[in-house]
Amino acid sequence: MSRDEKTIRIAPVTRLEGHGELTVKLTKAGKVKDVQFNVSSTRFFEKFLEGRFAEEAPRIAPRICGICPEPHHLAATKAVEAAWDITPPPAAVKLRRLLINAKQYSSHALHFFALAAPDFLAGPLGDPALRNVVAIIKALPDVGKMALEVMQFGQELAAAVGGKAIHPVTSTPGGMLNPFSEEKRDEFLKRFEKAKEQTLATVTLAKKVVQDYWDPITKLAVTPTYYLGMHDKGNLEIYDGNLRVMDPTGKIVADFKPKDYRKYYGEYVPNHSYATHIYYKPDGYPKGIWRANSLARCNVADKMATPIAQEALQEMRDALGRPIHATFAYHWARIIELVQAIEEIEGLLKDPDIVSKDVKLSDVEPKKGDGVGCVEAPRGTLLHHYWTDEKGIITKVNMVVATNNNIAGIEKSLMDAAKQIFEDKVHESLQLPDPMIK
Amino acid sequence: MVKRIALVQLSSCWGCDQSLVDLHLRLLDVLPELDIVYWPAVVDYKLADLEAMPNSSIHFGFVEGSCRTKEDEHLLKVVREKSKVLIAWGSCSAYGGVQGLGNQWTIEELLDRKFMKADTITDPRIPEENLPGFTNHIIPNPEIVKVDAILPGCPPTSDNTAEALTALLTGKPYDLPNKTVCDQCPMERKEKIIKKFKRTHEGKIEPGICILDQGYLCLGFATIGLCGAQCPTVNTPCKGCFGPPPKIKDHGAKVISALGAIADMSPDELKAAFPDPIGSFYFTDYASSYLSKIRGKQRSEAKK
Repeated sequence: MSRDEKTIRIAPVTRLEGHGELTVKLTKAGKVKDVQFNVSSTRFFEKFLEGRFAEEAPRIAPRICGICPEPHHLAATKAVEAAWDITPPPAAVKLRRLLINAKQYSSHALHFFALAAPDFLAGPLGDPALRNVVAIIKALPDVGKMALEVMQFGQELAAAVGGKAIHPVTSTPGGMLNPFSEEKRDEFLKRFEKAKEQTLATVTLAKKVVQDYWDPITKLAVTPTYYLGMHDKGNLEIYDGNLRVMDPTGKIVADFKPKDYRKYYGEYVPNHSYATHIYYKPDGYPKGIWRANSLARCNVADKMATPIAQEALQEMRDALGRPIHATFAYHWARIIELVQAIEEIEGLLKDPDIVSKDVKLSDVEPKKGDGVGCVEAPRGTLLHHYWTDEKGIITKVNMVVATNNNIAGIEKSLMDAAKQIFEDKVHESLQLPDPMIK
Repeated sequence: MVKRIALVQLSSCWGCDQSLVDLHLRLLDVLPELDIVYWPAVVDYKLADLEAMPNSSIHFGFVEGSCRTKEDEHLLKVVREKSKVLIAWGSCSAYGGVQGLGNQWTIEELLDRKFMKADTITDPRIPEENLPGFTNHIIPNPEIVKVDAILPGCPPTSDNTAEALTALLTGKPYDLPNKTVCDQCPMERKEKIIKKFKRTHEGKIEPGICILDQGYLCLGFATIGLCGAQCPTVNTPCKGCFGPPPKIKDHGAKVISALGAIADMSPDELKAAFPDPIGSFYFTDYASSYLSKIRGKQRSEAKK
């Protein structure tokens, strides 16, 4: 570092799953020279899955992420099924959809209430000691209790289908090892109405946050990028579908099957992060930097798959357009997806097939080949690619996890925000509400 | 009296933290007893805040994850110094975790695969700027610093963590049980005569009957009974993610020796059935096995 530079380091970045640090380099004149999002750990799953029985990958891979193990469990299963040419029974697919939506629901609730809401309720300039969900529970007990109950519904439903919510176990190449009992189905149908009411109350709370923070949402870190997300005939989809890429002008520039990802995905290795930067390969790096996750999915999809969520999406588009580049709108999009998740859960719980006993093939044979399994994790498109030998042992793995689709975009929006704050002092003029917790 | 607690994350998946959050409404009973002085997953205090605390000023330090980076090692040593009681929380912390399977390779081989050879990589290099660097192999935390107790699990269930916390808060002893998953498992067991092992995708596991009796490798017999037999209860073989009961020193070695007795198969047949013994007999605890330690030692000596 030269003497006329100043470096600001935030270590660690908190309320984050994983390990990240932030480095901002300023010149003596106060100009932002560089912003780095330093992801400071990685564990090499793509190597130590080699040599394992491929059917064990759905047990091992969830350990990549304790908040979103269900998408890893299912991406791993789908990759092995693709490599071995297996089509699981339709009722097993419905159970998996229930599992991934239960996770989408609990993770989005956790993200909104525990990771994001503290910034809004205590205010970005509030006391750091109050900027957490524990303080929310103490200061706003009704909101805190609802937050806990919403998360609980999703986690317990995921556990009921997956065996455990944190590192689910029941999905396997060829189907599901455990059918969903009528007793469990009835229990969740009974609990469902309250969860739906609480979801709608969460939407109301989120809308208030959006109104209160309209100025920063529409002015700070409005960062045009490409967007990546899954869809099924234009509907926002998280278990199985094609992938779309939207460019910063809003044009869909690619619509492809996940198995063809290598034509569209580039993986840039920055010198300052163990998490690589995934980008739209045909347009190169950094031009092709894309983002995934809730807002990206809401940008690339024509519409939501369920009616109340679609109304909510339309409301966001009426307010902010399409594509939306406002980074803070990720929270709004997350709540729209929370609504789709609860509506999908409703449909699946009411589907008689959900308690079918016919959820597992008994004649699955391994074969030599390779397969791609792709789902949407809460934080973005997740892709596993496995190669297996004729005995069904993994010989090679490539994984592009949700977060890596976002790291470059996060850095880009942090650069925008840093310039606005350090150079233009925008934080002095932004209209902020009176914090609810102080 | 409110107790000061620090929850520290080394390289891990965050699942232990999620499991604690999954106490949900029961958190309301626990939280008033605790002053959270460090928990980056949830609370905004920074590393510098932790480093600035006086030694032994934290009543309970819970450390999850294992040391994959040099920053992890630093953090582990800091939280040890600052805590009166340090708990190795979760299987990563107690045994090295699933990333311990990486000890089958050198760190150079791991880095090469991820940053130089991955299929989608367009700009290969090994990142170095403002980053901590990696440890050569995963060593379980209790072999790096003194820990006062371990609470294994991948992750420990919400109940496991709540029980440990309650014991700490009330000053009651907390000992790990010597029972196994089989002791907690509701499946019906008969005398075992296994002539052939099946893999999970083969056939169908019949509900209600011991999964090992059906010829699927279920590691409940060698795994500590803390989880409530979560996996066998849902028709899924135990993979041993909680590690062994305290009296068993090497999980995989125990499995291998027991299989000789359980299976009516020759050593060659067993060898053919399990071409990947490390992956089949260890899961979250390979780093704490004799085999991994011997390899680690050989590698360190080869480097000298």
